[in-house]
Amino acid sequence: MPLFPPQLHTRRDFLRRSGQLALTGTALPLALNLAAMGEAAAFNAPAGDYKALVCVFLYGGNDYANTVISYDDTSYNQYSTIRGGGAGQTAGGIALAKSALAATLLTSTVAPLDVVGVAHQYALHPSMAGLANLFNTGKAAVQLNVGPLVKPLTRVQYNSANKTLYPRPPQLFSHNDQQSIWQSSSPEGSKVGWGGNIGDLVLQNGLNSNSLFTGMSVTGNAVFLSGDTALQYQLSTSGAIKIKPATNATVFGSANVSSAIASLIRQSRSHVLENEYNKVTDRAMTAEATVTAALALTPPTTEFPTGNSLADQLKMVARLIKGRSVLGARRQVFMVSLGGFDLHDNLVAQQPVLMDRVSAAMTAFYNATVDMEVASQVTAFTASDFGRTLASNGDGSDHGWGSHHFIVGGAVKGQAFYGTPPPVSVGDTKDSGGNYALADQWHVGQGRLLPSTSVDQYAATLAKWFGVADAEMAGILPNIVNFGTSAGRADYPTDLGFML
Amino acid sequence: MAFDLIDDTAIPTAPEAAPPAARSTGAQARVGVALAAAALTACGGGGSAADSSAAPSIPGRSIKLSTTGHSYPSAASDEEAARFLLQAQLSASDADIAAVRSLGFAPWLEGQVGASLGTTGWDWLNSQGYGDVLSTKNYYDSSLQGDYMAWNQLMTAPDPVRKRMALALSEFFVVSLSGLDFSWRSHAMAHYWDTLCTHALGNYRDLLEAVTLNVAMGYYLNTKGNKKENSSGRQPDENYAREVMQLFSVGLYLLNADGTLQLDGAGKPQETYTASDVSNLARVFTGYDVDQSQNVPTVIAQNGGGTRTVGNTAFAKLPMVLTASNHSTLAATFLGVTVAANTPGADALKTALDTLFKHPNTAPFFCKQMIQRLVTSNPSPAYVARVAAVFANNGAGVRGDLAFVFAAILMDNEARGPAGLSATEYGKLREPMLRLVQWARTFGAASASGAWKIEDLSNPGLQLGQSPLRSPSVFNFFRPGYVPPSSGLSVGAVAPEFQLVTESSVGGYLNYLLDNLDRGLNKGDIKAAYTSELALATSPTALSPSALVQRLNLLLCGGQLSVATQNLITTAVGSMAGVVVSSTTTGTNLRLRVCAAVLMVMASAEYLIQK
Repeated sequence: MPLFPPQLHTRRDFLRRSGQLALTGTALPLALNLAAMGEAAAFNAPAGDYKALVCVFLYGGNDYANTVISYDDTSYNQYSTIRGGGAGQTAGGIALAKSALAATLLTSTVAPLDVVGVAHQYALHPSMAGLANLFNTGKAAVQLNVGPLVKPLTRVQYNSANKTLYPRPPQLFSHNDQQSIWQSSSPEGSKVGWGGNIGDLVLQNGLNSNSLFTGMSVTGNAVFLSGDTALQYQLSTSGAIKIKPATNATVFGSANVSSAIASLIRQSRSHVLENEYNKVTDRAMTAEATVTAALALTPPTTEFPTGNSLADQLKMVARLIKGRSVLGARRQVFMVSLGGFDLHDNLVAQQPVLMDRVSAAMTAFYNATVDMEVASQVTAFTASDFGRTLASNGDGSDHGWGSHHFIVGGAVKGQAFYGTPPPVSVGDTKDSGGNYALADQWHVGQGRLLPSTSVDQYAATLAKWFGVADAEMAGILPNIVNFGTSAGRADYPTDLGFML
Repeated sequence: MAFDLIDDTAIPTAPEAAPPAARSTGAQARVGVALAAAALTACGGGGSAADSSAAPSIPGRSIKLSTTGHSYPSAASDEEAARFLLQAQLSASDADIAAVRSLGFAPWLEGQVGASLGTTGWDWLNSQGYGDVLSTKNYYDSSLQGDYMAWNQLMTAPDPVRKRMALALSEFFVVSLSGLDFSWRSHAMAHYWDTLCTHALGNYRDLLEAVTLNVAMGYYLNTKGNKKENSSGRQPDENYAREVMQLFSVGLYLLNADGTLQLDGAGKPQETYTASDVSNLARVFTGYDVDQSQNVPTVIAQNGGGTRTVGNTAFAKLPMVLTASNHSTLAATFLGVTVAANTPGADALKTALDTLFKHPNTAPFFCKQMIQRLVTSNPSPAYVARVAAVFANNGAGVRGDLAFVFAAILMDNEARGPAGLSATEYGKLREPMLRLVQWARTFGAASASGAWKIEDLSNPGLQLGQSPLRSPSVFNFFRPGYVPPSSGLSVGAVAPEFQLVTESSVGGYLNYLLDNLDRGLNKGDIKAAYTSELALATSPTALSPSALVQRLNLLLCGGQLSVATQNLITTAVGSMAGVVVSSTTTGTNLRLRVCAAVLMVMASAEYLIQK
């Protein structure tokens, strides 16, 4: 039996979001808020269908410049110079050799143009053969230069002292705050993430028979999947943990001890913290049998790499998707993660392992969805605290902002780049009028990218595919109202177009 | 993937200046021969004067604590004494309770501050033979010994107050074994732990400097090998500069002296520092690398041919040294202070650390988190202000005196007074690693083999979900501002330790207890004696289990179990077999009764939330 208090969804949502909006510094028209939240939430879910979103969070801030690597000669040479590459396009400093990139070249049909007019080609890190192949066969796309924005910003506006007119996301370059902002549009301390908000809409529309299985995490606690009614349910890569002291026939030889523990650990308590703890235990015990039954179905036979924690997590997600009817779920949001991306040091030495893990795990997961015949119903996407500097600190890079990310699935319009390629530059050149040279307009120093696409747009595109109606979007992504045609910014569309 | 320590490009030619910490010069040249483990104890660091087989015990300090403003200077009951002990140290015993009751809190604490440090983690590693470079176990490549060291330190130390504070400090000045990947990482981690212990009851400014120049920290946050800017566009590594501000001193937002946010005219929080401050401060931390002046390498034949050169452990105990040519020559402006161009590195470092130390944010930022670690997740602003005031001035004009700060935290009315015992949001979730340490110390756990091999217990589904010195990142196991999602906490309230609580970890913890309370850790090598508890479990009647439960309530919970819970546990234990015909069977059954009682207490929410 649930221990959480009854929900007054709309009023509670409004109050919570008001608090959230204050933190992000936007003043939104009240009428829009009420319209978005006052009605029963609309949702697009044709009878009987199933969809899943899988957030692959790369903790530490992944280095975009060595992940989606400039390949056309103009751009590569600039990259190589900045990153200390050797003569003749060879490796050096933190720059990779161009010859190492041929096998993972991304063959998009159109070469995207940057603001200077350079037609960019990109290759993936040499350890990402799987993802490169998915891209080249139309199953994966790359979103270029995406990061948190409150509203569209130019570099001059970023530098402006007028933070009211030109607000920045709070605490840029701080790991924990940017992780929270990517996941929930608010800095650290936020209680509700957009994945959880999507889950709330799912529950309001009665799409899942058990609220517990709407947002499922196979990694640790994170705000992304927390909603108001849709709580994150966490399980390990070995499945749901059965609490033996409460479920064994006897404990230390006594059946009475077993039943005493079972009642003790699920009790409601008047002390708030005691109650919170027992609530989690209660959820764990309530869900365990169902989750274990869902996982008891024959798992997909797809081969997953071993010794790869991300692959272990995605394998569990695949099994949960297989067991979705046991879980009674038609719409699910999952979260998995990998750490180790904060490469201030040893960037070139450490990246191959990380990039291989990401590529191999996401490729195996895609293959599993194919084997389960749900490839077009499952979309995985990467996210990270931030990108990093393009400039080198000797053997690594430092905290940045915008980054390049992947979207993978059968419903993705793959073999394409979305967003605008940033010019490859670390300069601060201005003309006599104080305007930045074109090549320096899309970073804020040292090649820290100024995003040309916001996380809100990225999330809204995924949410729309998942079934979230346009009218609901502002409720789950408060800053989305600053983008798109209704905000007079058709150059920052709320649907980026990477989903079929 | 082990990184060979000997990196020719990184070895400085000569240190620029003597490192701040005193170190012995009695280095002896050693050739690559097998040496007795004890003799490998390197000189240097920590104040030991001579090269001896084991460093002499580091003494404590003599201080006099004031009780002004404290309405509760002594314990009026065993429960009050136990409650105090469970906040101040790692466990409560009959003897400790009696001592606290007899002396009063301040004199008892003075005694703890005066206690000497006990065996260091470094010396323990060497005593176990883990410094032997020639062992086929390749200890220099292993983190396992670091885990053994940490658990052993916590479970056996004779100075548990200092150790409790050092553990709290390890969650503020975070270095993690999981993030160290170089030769002799376990020794380096042991020295980091010893450094925290050395300064835990000393001064924050000394600790900040020792941490900054520490080798393990140097690897963890990249000060090691950090080089100045060059003409090809290379920039100093910013990792330490950012985290020393964000996490180790001033924090992200301007604070009032009571730890509340200083809001601007529009009611918004104000950032303490900008990206420019980080980039500038980063220049101060350039030019540092490990001190190899006492290195004696050993050439080790490898399986399959070839050799590998491994250094000795000396570098891991020495402060990092500065090479002037690698140090930034640019001016650096941060937090309103400017270090002029071409300032010598040691002077720049002093200016930087003094600036962080004296910043008005540091006292409330640090003190609030220490209160959260020891007493309650949501201290009142007034409590924070009182403790921050002691940080600013210990009463004798000294800033940053940690012994006085910790004493202020423990003796404050908000920690000692009865109000917290009935307030519905007061207190904190006991950390999983502290629960296991408490169990070991309370019930006389001892390692039959003497090896004390307790491993990394971080797996949440199968173990504790936490292990000492094994934080998943520099942000500690949990954030100070963590709020459990969709919780019933009041607006603005936080519960940091709940970041460890998931549907997996609640079960993993209970299963781990079930598997180990009786058998003991490491397959039974580290077993609890339960001596006094067994004596109370002798009869199957209702009375004796109740005495047993009362004892567990006192020692584990400071008397905070409700009567209802005590009765529930008593009834269950009372129904178990307690006396049978032969004496050996009786012994087994009594132990099962004790284990069942301990398990039920340690599973209850009233135990888990420490008030």
